[in-house]
Amino acid sequence: MKYIKYEYTADDELHFYEFKSIGIKGEIKKVVEYSKMNIEGYYNLAFGDFDEEKNEINDKIVTNNGDSLKVLATVASTVYAFTGKYPKAKIFATGSTEVRTRLYRMGITNNLVEIQEDFDVYGMKSDDTFEEFIAGEDYIGFLITRKKK
Amino acid sequence: MKINELNKKKIPLVKINKELNKYKGKVLFEKKLQNANKLLERAKLPRELSVDRG
Repeated sequence: MKYIKYEYTADDELHFYEFKSIGIKGEIKKVVEYSKMNIEGYYNLAFGDFDEEKNEINDKIVTNNGDSLKVLATVASTVYAFTGKYPKAKIFATGSTEVRTRLYRMGITNNLVEIQEDFDVYGMKSDDTFEEFIAGEDYIGFLITRKKK
Repeated sequence: MKINELNKKKIPLVKINKELNKYKGKVLFEKKLQNANKLLERAKLPRELSVDRG
């Protein structure tokens, strides 16, 4: 990815990742999760802040830590890690809010050329169909799979 | 390897943190997963990725 990213750690099956966002609001622990979906071979990608006081995840909070590109690049890097271990996995992602979904779209758009070297990327339209990701289009979800080489 | 070099690498070297194994078997973003499942349930998947949903 062309953006620098945070260092992160993972569980030994590479389903969970943690890193610290460091920005204008200080250090915020982030968690990335790949969960099995109802369709075989499909995984949901989700990430959010870990609230250390409440000891729980918050995926709706808008952190505004001034490092969203770096955070997205870090999450994108976990896609490489996850699909390195599970090359046949199909990864689905959708934001918890429209703003979040647009943020995902921006992250993909900013790195599209590079991402498409290794992945097929699809956007889910509001009519529930998928198309090959087109920069600038509105989508309600995204599907990413490793290219067969 | 220096951090700058690591940052340029596409395939990341992943540091395993055994502490994260505490999440195993859990769903941290449950509502998001439910929402994603609902979306895909009604979705027309790309033909090349279509699966037999029984």
